[in-house]
Amino acid sequence: MKKWLLVSISLLLMFAAVGCSKSESVNSDGKKTITMWVHISDENEEGKVYKKRVEAFNKKYAPDNIKAKIEFIPRSGNGGGYEDKVNAALTTSTLPDVITLDGPNTAAYAKSGVIAPLDEYVKDQEDLLPSIKQQGTYKDKLYAIGVSESSVGIYYNKRMLQEAGVDLNTLPTVDNPWTWDQFLALCKTLKDKYDKPAIDMQLQSKDEMLTYALTPFVWSADGDIISKDGKKAEGVFNKKPTVEALTFIQTMLKEGYTTRTPVKQAFETEKYPMKISGVWTVTDMKTNYQKVDYGVIPYPVSPKTKKLVSPSGSWQFAMTQTSENKEWAAKLVDWMTNKDSNVELSRTIAALPVRYSSEKVMAKEFSDQMNVFLKQLKETGHARPVTPAYPQVTRAFQQTIDDISFYDQNKDIQKVLDTHAKEMQSAIDKAN
Amino acid sequence: MSKIGWKENRGVYTFLRPEERTKNKTRWKENVVAYTFLGPALLLLSMFLVIPSIMSVYYSFTDYYLLTPDMRKFVGLDNFINLFQDPIFLKSLVNTLEFVVWVIPLQIGAALGLALLLNKQRKANTFFKVAYFSPVVMSLVVISVLWLYLLNPNEGIINNVLTYFGISAQPFLTSPKQAIFTIVVVSAWQGAGFQMLIFLAGLQNIPGDVYEAAQLDGINKWQRFMYITLPLLKPTSIFIFITTLIGAFKLLVQPMVMTQGGPVNSTMTVVYYIYQTGFTDRMVGYASSIALLFGTIIGLVTITQRKLVKEDED
Amino acid sequence: MRRKFGPLTILEYICLVLLAVLFIFPLFWMVASSMKPEAEIYNDMSNIKAFLPSFHPSDWFVSYKQVLLRFHLLGYIGNSLFYGLCVAVGSIIINGMAGYAFAKLNFSGKKVLFGLLLAILIVPFETILISQFTIIHSIGLVDTRLAVILPALAGAFNIYLFRNFFMAIPKEIIESAKLDGANTWQVFWRIMLPMSKPAVATVGTLAFIGSWNDYIWPLMVLTDKSKFPIQVAITAINSTDPVYTNQVMAVLTISTVPLIIIYIVAQRYILEGIGGSGTGIK
Repeated sequence: MKKWLLVSISLLLMFAAVGCSKSESVNSDGKKTITMWVHISDENEEGKVYKKRVEAFNKKYAPDNIKAKIEFIPRSGNGGGYEDKVNAALTTSTLPDVITLDGPNTAAYAKSGVIAPLDEYVKDQEDLLPSIKQQGTYKDKLYAIGVSESSVGIYYNKRMLQEAGVDLNTLPTVDNPWTWDQFLALCKTLKDKYDKPAIDMQLQSKDEMLTYALTPFVWSADGDIISKDGKKAEGVFNKKPTVEALTFIQTMLKEGYTTRTPVKQAFETEKYPMKISGVWTVTDMKTNYQKVDYGVIPYPVSPKTKKLVSPSGSWQFAMTQTSENKEWAAKLVDWMTNKDSNVELSRTIAALPVRYSSEKVMAKEFSDQMNVFLKQLKETGHARPVTPAYPQVTRAFQQTIDDISFYDQNKDIQKVLDTHAKEMQSAIDKAN
Repeated sequence: MSKIGWKENRGVYTFLRPEERTKNKTRWKENVVAYTFLGPALLLLSMFLVIPSIMSVYYSFTDYYLLTPDMRKFVGLDNFINLFQDPIFLKSLVNTLEFVVWVIPLQIGAALGLALLLNKQRKANTFFKVAYFSPVVMSLVVISVLWLYLLNPNEGIINNVLTYFGISAQPFLTSPKQAIFTIVVVSAWQGAGFQMLIFLAGLQNIPGDVYEAAQLDGINKWQRFMYITLPLLKPTSIFIFITTLIGAFKLLVQPMVMTQGGPVNSTMTVVYYIYQTGFTDRMVGYASSIALLFGTIIGLVTITQRKLVKEDED
Repeated sequence: MRRKFGPLTILEYICLVLLAVLFIFPLFWMVASSMKPEAEIYNDMSNIKAFLPSFHPSDWFVSYKQVLLRFHLLGYIGNSLFYGLCVAVGSIIINGMAGYAFAKLNFSGKKVLFGLLLAILIVPFETILISQFTIIHSIGLVDTRLAVILPALAGAFNIYLFRNFFMAIPKEIIESAKLDGANTWQVFWRIMLPMSKPAVATVGTLAFIGSWNDYIWPLMVLTDKSKFPIQVAITAINSTDPVYTNQVMAVLTISTVPLIIIYIVAQRYILEGIGGSGTGIK
C-alpha cells in the first residue's frame, strides 16, 4: 500500500506542477489583447455564436493589431458563480476589458464605477430597441447593450381550448388585447371544463422570474415599482394601481384559476391548458413536446387603461472602467450586439433581436408564436426598474406576491404593499 | 517560544539547573516533532481559513459594499446595532434554532440506527450501504425536483396516501407553519447517510475481541449494546454530535433550492441570510457582522455542550 | 456463529429493503429519467413508470449521446478525477498527520489549537469566499490547478475525525514500536494509518465527494476552460434555458457513478481492515 500511495502522490504532484507552469500565455505577436468574460459555456449554442463572432472580429481587425479573447465562465441559476467571479476579480483589480452582466445589475455596476459609459464610442444608438436602451442606461448614460431580448407571454394549448368550446379566432392579439375580466372569463371556462388550474403563472418560482412575469400587470394599471428617477418606492409602489393588479392575481388564485403550487411542466404535458412563460419555452416545445399544438397570446390588460405592457430584458455586454483599451473594448461591445451578431444569435436560439434593423430581418423568419413575442416586445416592452438597490427591490416585490397569495391571511393588500414599499425605500435610501 | 536552556519567568530569563534542562530539552524536541506534524495543516488552515476569517471579522465593522471594495470605511458598531433591529435576522435566528433542535435527534438517531443495522456481515450489505448513503451524493437538482413533486399539496403522492388513510391533505412547504419541519425531515433524510458512514467507521473500529470476551460472560444483545457498543462509541458519538450540530446551524442549501426562504421568511436561515445580504444585496460588511455574531453564538453552544458531555481525554 | 433464517431475520430484511427504497428512489428516478424523452419524464411523474426507463430501448441512450455531443465531458471528468484524487490523498496525509499530533503527541498550545480547530469548523464558507480568492491571487496561483486543490486539503472536520480514531489506539502499541526503533513518522505511517483504515477510507471518500461536487470555487479561480471540473459542465447544462431534463439527468448520472464507485471501493477497504484484524489490535 505504501509504494502505491507514494507513486500516486508523486504522480499527482507532478501533474499539479505541470498544470501550474502553463499559466498566462504572453502575447508574442505584439498584438493588443482585449479580454472578454461571458456567463455561458462555449459548448452551448449561444456560446458558439459568441465564439464565431469574436473570430470574425479578430479577422476584421487583424490589420489594426487587435485581438479579442473570449473566456467562458458558465453561470449557475441566477448568475451565481459567474457574478462571484466578477466580484472576486473586482477586489483584486483583475477584471477583463469586457464583461457580461444581467440587465438589473446595470445601475449597481455603473454607480460603483465597475463599468464605463459607452456614449463616447458607440454613436449609432437610434437603432436600439427602446427597452434595450432603457435597461442599459443609468443617469442618462448608456453603459451596456443587451445580448438579445426576451419577453413573456401566455402559451395556450389549442386542442384544450377548442375542446372547452373556445373559438381560437376570438383570442386576443397585440393590437387587440383582452382585459383582465375577459381573461378571467376564459379561465372560468377552462376551469369548469377540466377541473384543474387553467394557467400556470409561475407563482411557485420565488426568484427573478416572478418579478419578470408579474410586474407588467402593475405597469398595465399605470402603476410602477419605483419612481422614474429611481428615488422613491413609498408612494409609488403602494398605490392604487398596484392594489388593482394584485387584486386581479389574488382573484385568479381564489377562484382556483391558477395555483401557488403548479405541477412541473403541467402545460407541456397537457395537464393545464395555459402557462405564462418566456420565449425560451418555444425551443423547449419544439424539441421535447412536438405533439402539443400551442399558440401564444399577449398579456391581458387593465380594464381601466387598456394599456398593454410586456416585460423585457436580458444579459448585456459592457466594458469595464479598468480597461486600458476603452476604444477597442467599446468597439467589441458594439460588435457583439450589432446587426450581424444579433441575427446570428436569433437564428440559433429562440432569442429576440435588440435592434430595429435585425428585428426587420427576423420578423420574416420567425414562427407565428415568436412573432407574437417580437411584436409585443417592440411595441410594449418595458425594462425592469433601474436602481442600485435592485436586489432588495425585486425581493420585496417577490415577497409581496408571496404574501398576497395567502389571500385568507392577507385580505388587506394595501397593508402588505405598505410594508414592502417601506423595505424597498430603506434599501434605496441606503444605496443612493 | 522560550530559548533553550533559559526559562522565562515574568519576563526575566534565569538559567536552569542541568536536570531541568534535559527535561526542557525533551519538551522542546516534542514540540518540534508535533509542530512538524501539524505544520502543513496549520499553514493551509491559516492561509485559507484563519486569515480570511480575521478579514471577515474586520469587515463586520465596516460598510464594505461588494462592488466598491476600495471605498469601505470603519463604521464601528453600526452593523451590529442595525442587526438587532432587523426583523428578518431575528426571524432567521429563531428558524435556525428551531431547525437545529428538531434535526439533531432525528438525523443522528436515524444515522445510528442505520449504522447498527448495517454493522454485520451480510451478503447484500454493500447494496444497502449504497442505498442509505446515496442521498448524500445525489445532486440537489434531483432531490429538490422529486421532493417538491412528492410534497405538492394538491397532486403530490404523499397527500394522496394521507387522504387514502383518511387524513386531510397537508400544505407542507407552502405553509409558514409546516415548511421548516418539512425541511427538517428532508435534510435529515438526505444527511443521515453521512453520519451513518462515520458511525460505521466507529463501530468497525471497536476491536472484535471485546465482543468475544463479552460473549463468554454470557450477556444478551441488549446488554451488549448498552454496556459495550455505546460506551466504546462515545468518542465517535461526541464527534458526530458536535459536527452535526455545527453543520445544522449552517443550514443553507435545502431552503435555498426548495423554498427560497419562504413562505413569508419561515425557512430563512441565518446562513441563507448571510448569503443573501452578502452576495445578492452585496452588503459584505453587514453580512460579516451577522457571521461574527452567529459564529459567537454557535461557539457558545458548542462550548456549553462540550462542558456538559465531558470527553474522556487521556 | 451459525446463521439462522428465523422470522427475525426475514423481518430484518424487510426492514432493510423498505429503508433502502426510501433512500435510493432518487437515484433510480435519475437513471430512469435519463433514459427517456423529456415529455415522458413528466407524464410518468405520478405513477410507477417514473422509475422505469422508456419502453423503447432506442430511446435509452439518446440523451447521453446529445450530452456527449454538446459537451467534452471526458475532459471535465478527467479534471474532476484529478482534483478529487489529489484532495483525497492530500487530505488523508495532511489531516492524518495533524490528527496524530492532537491525539498522541504532547506539545505546548495543544488546548488552544484544538479550540481554534473547533472554531474553524464554525466559519460559514460563504463569508470568506472572496478573501480566499484574494489570498490565492496574492500568491499568484490564479488559473492554476493548485488553486483548486490547496484550499481543500486541510480541514478541521477531518483533523478532528482522525484525532478521534487515533485516540482509540492503545499507547502500548506505539511504545512497543518505539522500542523497536521506529521514529514518530514511522509510527504514524506504519501503525497509525494502517490501523485506522475505517477513518482513512471515510476521510478519503468524504474529501473526494466534496471536491467532486464543488462548483463555485473552481469557477472562481480558473478561467482556462481546459481545467474546469465536471460541475461546471453540469451547471452549464442545467441553467441555460430551455433546460432539457433528460439531458440534465444523463449528465448527473454520469457524474454520480464515480462517486458511488469510490464509495463502494472505500467500504470494501474498511471491511478488509476488519477481516484481517490481525493488523495488530489486541
